Amino acid sequence: MSLPEMFSEPLLEIRDLSIDFHTPEGHHRAVDGLNLNLQPGEVMGLVGESGSGKSISAKSIMRMLPSNAELTPQSRIRLHTGKHWVNVNALHGRDLRLVRGGQVSMIFQEPMASFAPAIRVGDQVVETIQLHTGADYASARRQGIELFDRVGIRQPEKRFDQYVFELSGGMRQRAMIALALSTRPRLLIADEPTTALDVTVQAQVLELMLELREQFGMAMLFITHDLGVISRIADNLTVMQQGRVVESGSCNKVLFAPEHDYTRRLLDALPQLDNLPPAPAKTPAPLVSIRDLSIRYPASGPGQQPFQAVSGIDLDLPAGQIIGLVGESGSGKTSLGKALLGAAPISQGEVCYRFDSPLTLSAGRRVRRKPLARMAQLVFQDPYSSLNPRMTVRDIIAEPLLALGLCRNKAEVDQRVLEVARRCHLDVTHLRRFPHAFSGGQRQRISIARALVVNPRFIVADEAVAALDVSIQADILALLKSLRDEMGLTILFISHDLSVVANLCDHVCVMQHGQLVEQGSVRDIFLNPQQAYTRTLIGAIPTLQPPAERALPVAIEVSPRA
Amino acid sequence: MYEFLTNTWLLWLLSTSAALLWWRSRVSQLFRYIYHRYLLALGTLMLVSAIVFSLMEVLPGDCAEKMIAYKNTQGEVITQAQIDAERARMGLDRPLAVRWADWVSDLTLKGDLGFSCSKRQSVNAALGDRFWISFGFCIAGLLFAYLIAVPFGILSAWSLNKPWLDRKAHHAPARRLRNSLGLALSKCMDLQLRLISYLGLALPNFLLALSIILLYVFAGEPTPTGLFSEQWQGQPWFAASGFQWGKLQDFLGHIWLPILVIGWAATALQLQTVRALVVDESNKLYVEAARARGIDGVRLWARYPVKHSISPLFNSVGFDFQRIFNDLPIVAVVIGLTDAAALLIEALAMTNDQELAAGILFLVALAVISMNFITDVVLAIVDPRVRNSVMQGGGH
Amino acid sequence: MISLISRLHRRGQDRSEQYFTAGQFALIRARFLRNTTGVIAGTLLSALVLIGFFAPFFSPNAPGIEGANPDYRRGAPQAVRFCDANGCSLRPFTYTYVRETPKLDLSSLAGGDLSALDALTASGGLNASAQSRYVEQTDQRRYLQFWVSGWEYSLFSIDWLGIDIRSDIHLFGVEQGQIHLFGTDEDGKDVFSRTLHAIWVTISIAVVALIVKLITSLLVGGISGYFGGRVDAVLMAITEAVRVIPPIPIYLACAVALSQIELTPVQRYFAIAVMIGALDFTTLGRRLRTHILTERNQDYVLAARLSGASTGRIIWRHLVPSFSSYIIVDTLINFPYVILAETSLSFLGLGLTEPVNSLGVLLQKAQDPDIQQNMVWQFAPVGVFVLLIMAFVFVGDALRDAADPYSERRR
Repeated sequence: MSLPEMFSEPLLEIRDLSIDFHTPEGHHRAVDGLNLNLQPGEVMGLVGESGSGKSISAKSIMRMLPSNAELTPQSRIRLHTGKHWVNVNALHGRDLRLVRGGQVSMIFQEPMASFAPAIRVGDQVVETIQLHTGADYASARRQGIELFDRVGIRQPEKRFDQYVFELSGGMRQRAMIALALSTRPRLLIADEPTTALDVTVQAQVLELMLELREQFGMAMLFITHDLGVISRIADNLTVMQQGRVVESGSCNKVLFAPEHDYTRRLLDALPQLDNLPPAPAKTPAPLVSIRDLSIRYPASGPGQQPFQAVSGIDLDLPAGQIIGLVGESGSGKTSLGKALLGAAPISQGEVCYRFDSPLTLSAGRRVRRKPLARMAQLVFQDPYSSLNPRMTVRDIIAEPLLALGLCRNKAEVDQRVLEVARRCHLDVTHLRRFPHAFSGGQRQRISIARALVVNPRFIVADEAVAALDVSIQADILALLKSLRDEMGLTILFISHDLSVVANLCDHVCVMQHGQLVEQGSVRDIFLNPQQAYTRTLIGAIPTLQPPAERALPVAIEVSPRA
Repeated sequence: MYEFLTNTWLLWLLSTSAALLWWRSRVSQLFRYIYHRYLLALGTLMLVSAIVFSLMEVLPGDCAEKMIAYKNTQGEVITQAQIDAERARMGLDRPLAVRWADWVSDLTLKGDLGFSCSKRQSVNAALGDRFWISFGFCIAGLLFAYLIAVPFGILSAWSLNKPWLDRKAHHAPARRLRNSLGLALSKCMDLQLRLISYLGLALPNFLLALSIILLYVFAGEPTPTGLFSEQWQGQPWFAASGFQWGKLQDFLGHIWLPILVIGWAATALQLQTVRALVVDESNKLYVEAARARGIDGVRLWARYPVKHSISPLFNSVGFDFQRIFNDLPIVAVVIGLTDAAALLIEALAMTNDQELAAGILFLVALAVISMNFITDVVLAIVDPRVRNSVMQGGGH
Repeated sequence: MISLISRLHRRGQDRSEQYFTAGQFALIRARFLRNTTGVIAGTLLSALVLIGFFAPFFSPNAPGIEGANPDYRRGAPQAVRFCDANGCSLRPFTYTYVRETPKLDLSSLAGGDLSALDALTASGGLNASAQSRYVEQTDQRRYLQFWVSGWEYSLFSIDWLGIDIRSDIHLFGVEQGQIHLFGTDEDGKDVFSRTLHAIWVTISIAVVALIVKLITSLLVGGISGYFGGRVDAVLMAITEAVRVIPPIPIYLACAVALSQIELTPVQRYFAIAVMIGALDFTTLGRRLRTHILTERNQDYVLAARLSGASTGRIIWRHLVPSFSSYIIVDTLINFPYVILAETSLSFLGLGLTEPVNSLGVLLQKAQDPDIQQNMVWQFAPVGVFVLLIMAFVFVGDALRDAADPYSERRR
């Protein structure tokens, strides 16, 4: 699937792009010698993990570098306007609008934060249209509403006059796309446009972008860390790692015949649905039994309703397995996980732990915190906010030991902390450091080490890898698996990401609107889902699309502006 | 009947508006919020009155002693028994709580602030429109502070993370020079303004007022103390020849001094607030997104970070007013004003007139609370963010 | 400490390790040191505080009436020179002065003419400033001496530990007589020495007030934030009510009440500091409450709770450290306001009074028309005062910018 040859002139040409950051901790090179060509109408996937320099490269096209970043003098970025070449680095003043909205526009990762909260969404669209085309208000508004209609927003007139917080998550991203398209750009930069969305919404938005690409025929620079997503949309791929390009080429070549080790690692993180582990011969005895559990948060203020997060769940968690708990945001999965640890208000039903000395949590009964903490621990989603920034790593890991008074003296504590740190592959020489010195993956290891230090038998991992990069996710998942195999740990793994669950878990439960929809072994759920909701979820997983199934080469129509 | 109404008019006003709000609140979330805010404001006012009233107990002496002391100057001989009798007559021997209840009920029924012993007339009459003069001074001082603090706070926020020099290698030398000049200029402006505004804070306002007056003394000019010079003091605003422009001119020639003095001190704080607010907003993603759409320059700053930081600034107007009034009494003493602030100092430090002082303090608190109430309501109507949180539920 | 930071800044290799093992205060310090205005103001501030604390060492004369110079009442500041008509010297010097006896023409009074007396009075020849006019003897130099011994003072003393280090060494003095850099007041007390001593009194009163304020704020904010619910509602309602009343009139009322009680100057001094501090709990109390309410819901506090930590342990090990830096910064920012409150009271004659030597007391003199017209040098403390406040404000500003070292480090 080669690109049409009739376009002899590329749209964008990046040569030797290098970007330096000046931070108080010293200089560091975020992007090193990036070369990139983009033809009109081409969709280029820019793949990499956080810190790989993909976003900052895209921003340099719009001349949006932060003030402490600097281009090296030999960096060249050129954009072909359709008539002539423009040296992007030499633009200034009004001319910058050419790359900011004019020929190039951008879709951000978080639609909620990228709309100004106190200005109507429509007014922001109209403002942009007016700025670039000089249209009068009425016609700009008409164009805007038409665009809203086109990106699939129902009742576009009504939505046009609303504020961003009045729209739902998927609607916001649609509005963001409409805003980006409002100036009819020739290049659309999409910075992780689907990452912050739920799986089903993600699939819809992706569908929409594919459609729009066909209709508008603009080129796209699609930035993501998810190879599943990119395989559906991109023509060509550029894989970046730590500021360097490690591999580039056509989508098929990179995805199905990867040459670089790093690309292979990324591919390994995708779910292999045809390679799921067989269900264990017999289900082990449950370690935790949940009976008719409901969770209701009391009203937070006068005039507010109490919030029912979970209603009437019955569930057995088999010992020594990793149980995946899947659902979209708002399904009550996190509340359920917290309730198991006595951190969410149980309004009805009970949770029974079959430990050596049984323990029951139920409505209206005070949680016996210490025996519970001895046996059951939590690994948090956000590796940043869950570690006290004012304590050293050693103190953080030792905290449960000290709080529960499990050790007689300091030497014993140190001994135990060292043991656990090694277990979680933490560099023991770093124990004196503070959390701010660590990356997300290392922080999550610290968080796991803290949970393991008391030798618990049950761990709730609440979206434990959601904030991490794919390749680091793999390491953490491997660590969790080894904990299950070697220590016989039972893990409740809460996640919205079905690919991770498919790769990790033995048993899967699916939740929706505070209720349990379906449960079963991984194989059953992924290959033979019974419920419609489960099927939708699984259908929405961005798996790698083999070449045959990909959309046919897109007929590129030149956009009306030409 | 008429007398009954005139004696209870305020209570009727308060309860009618409460009833109206309550009636509307059953159908509208917004009115529900306003109704809650209204009740809260009334409750706070009650608390304030209790605090102020009991605080005034610490002032030495009471009304009975003062009355008798006054008679003493007329040449009568006074015994302790007479003082006690006078005390009983005025009801001063009753417990504090009862007297407070008495005071508050008079206040809520007909807006009567009590009786000033030293002035020997009701507090309302003693105050006259002096309270409005003080109020005017504070508002003018506030405007002065905002007028300076808002534009320069924005400038300060803008230049906060900018370098002194343009060191971008790919800029042409001429442009680098031009950019550097602009940057350095704005940096210098910012530093200078911060220095000047902080000077307003560091020079205690009474000293500032004194030094300005001293300058006049040294220059041999008449000092701009008081509200009017002697020439215009007794003249009416409207004479036979129409409006007295001369009086207005004279008036303006006098009031700039207190406004400058109290406004300057407030500027420093406002500048810091504006700067912090705008910096906060300008770091948000939506500003970057707007920039990515090609919005730039003044338009970007005015419509995005600045527009979004106006609400919190507006929200603090009530407390800014309180802070400014706080400074006013001492300035009033130095400049020789005769407004409520000067009366307050007189009542507190010289005549120990409890009810007068309590009355003035209560009025100031009333002004602050009403401003807070008004800003909250206005923001709930105008600012979509606030309205959203209000609509989500009673939200305080 | 400073050297640690500079190492943290300069060296390449172990710099990163130092950064990684730096706690929150080291991070704040490092960020503070990057702010040039902040560093300049900080240096000035520490110099002032140091001079204030060791005021007896730096001042050539005793500040009280015992150090007053009866031969140089209402005297103008003496300039320190290196050069004059008789040549230059490496050692700075001042001149000897002689009191100039005003030549009053009393002969006209001999006739008992009352109008002549009136004329004499009107000419100002009889008033105090005309009576004490001094003439410099430019041929008699008094050389400045350094490290001289003079009146004895206690350099550092803690009464209840029985520690009292006494000394009589002063940084400088003159060979004979006394030196008055800022002139003297009507009793002959040295304005320079008084100013230096006043700095410490003023700072210490602010310190006492801020400590009291901290305690009340912590009580109100802590109780409100930690217990929440009805306790919170009641406490916040009271705070809100106190917050809308302007504080200076309240201080005034309390000061008037205090003046009714017989107090020694020291007691009065403490009473005023405690009063200023105790009534100023609203802002910080509310902020602490909000801080605790938000911090209480942070993941790391939940993590501690799920680790089995008790309430006390959570407060002490996790919550308190999280706002300690904030409290310190807020306290520094509030220094100028507390000092201003004290001066305002003293200005009205309701704060500290004469034998005590605070900047407020010295500023109070600015009201006196006699001083305004004849002894302008008594305004010198104003300069020091402004310098002190400005230093505090700029340091506070820089600290505010540096305060939360973890805010920008996400991602």
